[in-house]
Amino acid sequence: MPSLKDIKTQINSVGSTKKITSAMKMVAASKLRRSQEKAEAARPYSSRLEEMLSSLASSAASGEGIIKLLTGTGKDQNYIVVPVSADRGLCGGFNSSINRETFKLVKSLEADGKKVHLMPVGKKSRDFFNRVMKDQIIESFVDLNVSSTGYESALNISNKLQELYFDGKFDKCILVFNKFKSAISQEVTQQQLIPLDVSNSETEEEKENSSNAIYDYEPDEETILKDLLPKNVSIQIFKVLLESDAGEQGARMAAMDNATRNAGEMIDSLTLKYNRTRQAFITKELIEIISGAESI
Amino acid sequence: MATISFDLVSPENLVFNDEVGTIIVPGKDGDLGILPGHSKVMSSLRPGRVMVYSEDKNLIKSFFVSGGFAEINPEKCIVLAESVVEVNSLEKTSIEKEIQELENKEGKETEEQLSVAKAKLEAINVNYYDKI
Repeated sequence: MPSLKDIKTQINSVGSTKKITSAMKMVAASKLRRSQEKAEAARPYSSRLEEMLSSLASSAASGEGIIKLLTGTGKDQNYIVVPVSADRGLCGGFNSSINRETFKLVKSLEADGKKVHLMPVGKKSRDFFNRVMKDQIIESFVDLNVSSTGYESALNISNKLQELYFDGKFDKCILVFNKFKSAISQEVTQQQLIPLDVSNSETEEEKENSSNAIYDYEPDEETILKDLLPKNVSIQIFKVLLESDAGEQGARMAAMDNATRNAGEMIDSLTLKYNRTRQAFITKELIEIISGAESI
Repeated sequence: MATISFDLVSPENLVFNDEVGTIIVPGKDGDLGILPGHSKVMSSLRPGRVMVYSEDKNLIKSFFVSGGFAEINPEKCIVLAESVVEVNSLEKTSIEKEIQELENKEGKETEEQLSVAKAKLEAINVNYYDKI
C-alpha cells in the first residue's frame, strides 16, 4: 500500500503535467488560427494558377525542357516520395500517420519494381526514415517554419526537386501530407506533383468554361507555360506546407485537449485514493488506541 | 463609365481586390493598359509597376511586382505576382545598396536579382503613368 506521501507527490506531478498540456493546447489554438488564416490567404493564388494552367495545358502536347514538368519524362521507373511531417511531436497521430502511409506507398511501389527515393520534409519523418530506409533518402528539409519564413521555404524545396528532375534523377514525384479538413481532423493525402496532374483538378463544368475561353497569349503560349510550370510546383509545395502546418496545430490542439482531460480524471481518482488511505490510517490508529485502553 | 474588377494576388495573400477604372500592367513585351471590356489576354509580366486608377482616371495605388502573370477578360483582371510591394514603401537608399552588393557578385541568380532591383529603382524614379 502506497504511503500518503507517495500519493501526494503523484498528484502534484500529474497536476504540473496538466498545466503544461493545457498551456500547449492554448498555444496551439492561437497558432492554429494564424496558420489557418495563412492557408486561406494563399488559396486564391494557387487556385488561379491552377485555372491558368489547365487552360494552357491542352496546348502542350509534348516537348523538351521545362514542358516536361507537365508531360512527364515518358518513363515510369524512378519515383521520389516527399512525406511532409511536423518538426515537433506531441500532436497525436499526425506524424506517425504520415510515416505509415509513406512507408506503405514506398513498399507498394517497390513491389511493382519501381525505384523509390525519399525526400522527407520535417524532423519527424526525417528521423523515422533515417531509421528504416536510410540509403533511400536523397535530401531532407527540416526547421522550415513556414508560418514565419513564408514562400521562401517552399522555393528551396521546389528548386531542389526541379534540379533533380531535370538531371533525370526521377520520373514522378509524389507528396504525402496531412490535408487540413477542420481543426480536429486531418486527412492523409497523396498528390502527384511532377508531372502535373491536370485532369484531376478539372470538373466537367470547368472544362466547358475553359474550352469557351479563347485567350490571346503574350508573348506566346509556350513562353507563358515555361514560366508558369516551375512556379506552379513551388506554389503547390507552399500550399501543402501551409496546410500541413495548420493541420499540425489542429492535431496538437486536439491531442493536448485530450491529455488535459485525462490528467484531470487521473487527479480526481488519485485524490479519492489519497482520502481513502488517510481515512484508513485514522481508523487504524483509533482501533489501536481503543484496543490499548480496553486491555488495561 | 464602367468598371473592371481587379485582383492582385501574391502567394501569401490577396493584396488588392476592388472595382477600378483602369489598370496598367508591365507585360513581357510592353505595358498593357486595361480598360473595362478588354479582350481576353493572358500575359506574363516583367518586373515593373502595376498602376491602378479609379473611374475618373485618378491614380489609386501603384505596386511594384517582380514578375508574374496577368489574366484579363472583359469583366475581370487578375494579376498573379511573386512579390508585391507598394511603390511608396520602397526605399531608394536600401535598393541602391542592394544593387551595389549584387554587382560585385556573379551567377545566374544574382543577375535575376539585379534586374529586379534595377527595375525597383526605376519604379521609384519614373513618374510617367502618374497621370493618364
